[in-house]
Amino acid sequence: MTIRTEDSALHFLPTSFRAMIIAGSYWVVSLSLTVLSGSLASLIGCLTACYLVDLRLHRQPLASLRTSTLLAACLLFWLTGLLVARLIVGSDWISNLVSPIAAFNSSEFLKWFVISASITVSLRCLAHRTSFGAVVEILFVAALFVMTLAAHRNGMIHRPFFIGDFALVRGIDPSVILMIFGCAAVLSLSALLMMENNQRRLPYHFVVLGLLCFSLFFYVRLFGLPTPRLTDDLGLTGQEQVGNGSQRENPFRDGENSANDREAPVAVVVFRDDYEPLNGAFYFRESAYSQFNGSMLDFTTREDMDRDLIEHFTNSRADAEQLPLSVDMRTRVRTTIGMLVPHRSPFGLVSPIAYENRSNPNNLRFKRTYDSYSLAPEYDFEFLLGRETGSEDWSQDVREQYLKLPDDARYQELAENLITNLRPEFANDPFAKAWAIKTYLDENGIYSLKNEHAYEPDPAGSFLFGDLTGYCMHFSFAATYLFRSIGIPARVGVGYSVPASNKAGGSSLLIQAVHGHAWPEIYFREIGWVIVDPAPQQTLVDMTTDPQNDLQQLLGDMLRNDASFEEFLSSQQSSFIKLRTLLTALYIIVSAILILAYLIKFYRLWAPYPGNSGQQHRFAYRAVLDRLSAIGLHRHYGESREQFALRASQIAPTIKAMTDSHLACSLGVPTSNRSNRQQWHLFQSTITREISSNTTIWKKMLAWINPFSWIMTR
Amino acid sequence: MTSEITAQVTEIQSVSGSDAHAAANADLSTSVAVLRTLMDTLKRQVLGRDDVIELVIIALISDGHILLEDFPGSGKTTLAKALGEAIVNGSSTDEFIVPFRRIQFTPDLLPSDVTGVPVFDSNSNAFHFRHGPLFAHVVLADEINRTSPKVQSAMLEAMGEKQVTVDNVTYTLDDLFFVIATQNPLDLVGTYPLPTPQLDRFLFKITMDHIDRKSELDVLETYKERRDFGSSLVTVTRDQVLKARQQIDSYVHISPAVKTALVDISRNIREDDRVLQGNSTRSMVLLLPALQVSAALRGRDYVSAEDIQLLISRVLGHRIELAPGVSDMEKVLADNMRAPMDQLARSTLTG
Repeated sequence: MTIRTEDSALHFLPTSFRAMIIAGSYWVVSLSLTVLSGSLASLIGCLTACYLVDLRLHRQPLASLRTSTLLAACLLFWLTGLLVARLIVGSDWISNLVSPIAAFNSSEFLKWFVISASITVSLRCLAHRTSFGAVVEILFVAALFVMTLAAHRNGMIHRPFFIGDFALVRGIDPSVILMIFGCAAVLSLSALLMMENNQRRLPYHFVVLGLLCFSLFFYVRLFGLPTPRLTDDLGLTGQEQVGNGSQRENPFRDGENSANDREAPVAVVVFRDDYEPLNGAFYFRESAYSQFNGSMLDFTTREDMDRDLIEHFTNSRADAEQLPLSVDMRTRVRTTIGMLVPHRSPFGLVSPIAYENRSNPNNLRFKRTYDSYSLAPEYDFEFLLGRETGSEDWSQDVREQYLKLPDDARYQELAENLITNLRPEFANDPFAKAWAIKTYLDENGIYSLKNEHAYEPDPAGSFLFGDLTGYCMHFSFAATYLFRSIGIPARVGVGYSVPASNKAGGSSLLIQAVHGHAWPEIYFREIGWVIVDPAPQQTLVDMTTDPQNDLQQLLGDMLRNDASFEEFLSSQQSSFIKLRTLLTALYIIVSAILILAYLIKFYRLWAPYPGNSGQQHRFAYRAVLDRLSAIGLHRHYGESREQFALRASQIAPTIKAMTDSHLACSLGVPTSNRSNRQQWHLFQSTITREISSNTTIWKKMLAWINPFSWIMTR
Repeated sequence: MTSEITAQVTEIQSVSGSDAHAAANADLSTSVAVLRTLMDTLKRQVLGRDDVIELVIIALISDGHILLEDFPGSGKTTLAKALGEAIVNGSSTDEFIVPFRRIQFTPDLLPSDVTGVPVFDSNSNAFHFRHGPLFAHVVLADEINRTSPKVQSAMLEAMGEKQVTVDNVTYTLDDLFFVIATQNPLDLVGTYPLPTPQLDRFLFKITMDHIDRKSELDVLETYKERRDFGSSLVTVTRDQVLKARQQIDSYVHISPAVKTALVDISRNIREDDRVLQGNSTRSMVLLLPALQVSAALRGRDYVSAEDIQLLISRVLGHRIELAPGVSDMEKVLADNMRAPMDQLARSTLTG
């Protein structure tokens, strides 16, 4: 009877350990998928299942059930549980009986309990009964960890948010936490692996694995993480590869980019002044296509065109050469912009008049930070009626440049056609004409990221006179050509357009890749460049995105770098400052221990050579024992030297003779001088040779790496 | 490979060894040779009992007595007789001492049947002491638990003091006086079991199992030859044995670490909850010479952990009384030995 209890106690430890590992993986994956009660339920379910299977599977009645029966029972359990969970949420009287929140919580609890319990039972049964079961189990745990951390590929360390936010708010580098996750995963997996076979090697392997993890930490602390590849090719923005400025790709081919990274953050804008756009979207202009190069519009190469644009970043302040006019109908807005990915030119809220470089509060996050001063329009469209177009400052040549378009009569034909129906009082009004063209595109254009026009000689023409299906590039180019065809100077503005609702009442605004945009602009005299952006009513793509308010606020706070934010941070850090110092102290202590361990290890290995002859038998024997412990062979507690020598003689036969000599020296007559340097030298070199010829290479490597090998020497 | 190394080491050692040490080694090896001769003789006559023979030799040289627990017909008498006959009287002057005696203990045995009795000699008109069976080198006390406590106590006094007292006259027994007592472990009806303090007089209590199949076959094959061995066996003299006893005592070193380990083991045993009464200090004193002999038989001139492991359960097994409900003596001993033995092994490195 006593033997039986001891037996089950022996099984209890590995079972608990395994249960904890699997439960840990459930916890990790359920955190982002469910509420707290669900996570708890998955923990409980997993633990219950592990103990149930490991302690009961070999006994009746479970032992007599077939594996397939057990699996089917699990499936049934799962389905029943899910059904009941749905019923709990679905039925009115339960939510009336308890509160709806409680109903939801209990449903989540039941659901996750059922999921984790049935999966775990199946996995454990397979692991016990089949040869591949253990592999499936390990793959499962690995998959759960990988799924959780998969969002971090491409260096997006702010995801998942529950880790990223937690760390960033407290001023901890999220990479540390992610590495802890990674190390935990590695350790758990290796533990699972090793438990399947031989538990006796477990502590030994763990030391080496722990050492590897620590060295990874150490490396990252010293040299930092590898820099992720810069994502320049977000598409839709007219951005280019760095150093490839003159040879621009056809902007119409941007649309072929896959929409995978649509939500990728591009920049964050902090508004220093209050501003709400009248037309429902914030426009950030980066540059403009204004000069017709023979086949399509391109960045201007002329000094006297687009003088309102600021092309390059400077280290101080850069002012636009030409300011927008009618200042009384505009409001001054200062914004702070932090670019998360590099851009060729700075961009700012329309219309930007100056950029001022700003110290970067976080080099890891922001590629560039600057203040943008804008004169943002506050006029409505009525203000534009009856205005002349073009600037008085423009030379005739410049004006003609703004009116150039492909040599295609259909543009003018269409434009004339569109403006014929204008009411007589607006018949000659440029804005009214433009509005008529915009309305045509709004009503007839179809927004789609897929288009057939990219490889046409004139994509805009192909779009406009073809299926009218395209994206912002097509709309803006087509509109610009139509404007130009009837004498309205226009260009294509490029940058970002973010729905005003994304600001969500805060002061920061996150620009995402999906917000990249191009739009037509018209120059009105005494006003400046005015955006007349067609908005197709039919769309084939869902361009709505998750505004990511948490990230928006977080990055905004980080960028704002105010005293208040510092205070907020430090208040958050006060409890964690200890953690950081603790972590640093831990690094130092662990490193010191490691160095000390290596020093001791190599001192003990080499001390006998210069050692004095009286203690020769001790030092030499100890060195040999150290070598044996390094390959995992050490004397057990209570075992005599002779017994150990007998055991070790399978690897190094000479150890028997050496043990006898050693014992004769230490237990024999003290006066007899039997110690002889030469003799110990001989023993030692022989045994070293025997050990190295009788062990595998990986064991030898481990023996060298392991700093604590000598601890097991008794 | 290994033999090469050993040869080289021996060469190195022989260059460095001191003369006194070499002389001691020579004396020791002569003694060990005597023991080996004795052992070989016994082994030729008693098959499949090498371990028991070794223990018997150890007990003989370390001046102890042994108690065999065995079934009838398992070779106890053969063993004891062979031992008695292997030691010839040599130069002994005492004509009353014979090599071997056997006493069958029965409930009606009287102390004088064991010790001897003064007999009136009508010729000389005086009492003459007629020597009992105890006056021998080797005495086999068969089924010692079947006799009355009175006889047992006379027997045990002889074993302890090496003398018998009859009518207030004390007669000294031989120096080599060595008792092999036996008792049947199962057939206990009508016996007087030896109490623990009396068991303390025996150095070893050896429980013998049946010999293995091959040895048993050998016994059947060779019983005729062994019956006819007679005088052809190699013998040793009583003086040689006594000298070996003395030399092993003086030349085999017992390190303080070994003594520490022994004391620690005893103390651990006494403190163990599973033990009602621990072993005596005397048992440890008796153990020391036995350890020395064991070491010498293994060609060492120092006592090592190996010797302790070999002997301690034989020595302590019958000296310890376990608490009610505890039966596994080996486990109790092993548990209590572990820490001191580990300490002993460690001490060779720490000095």
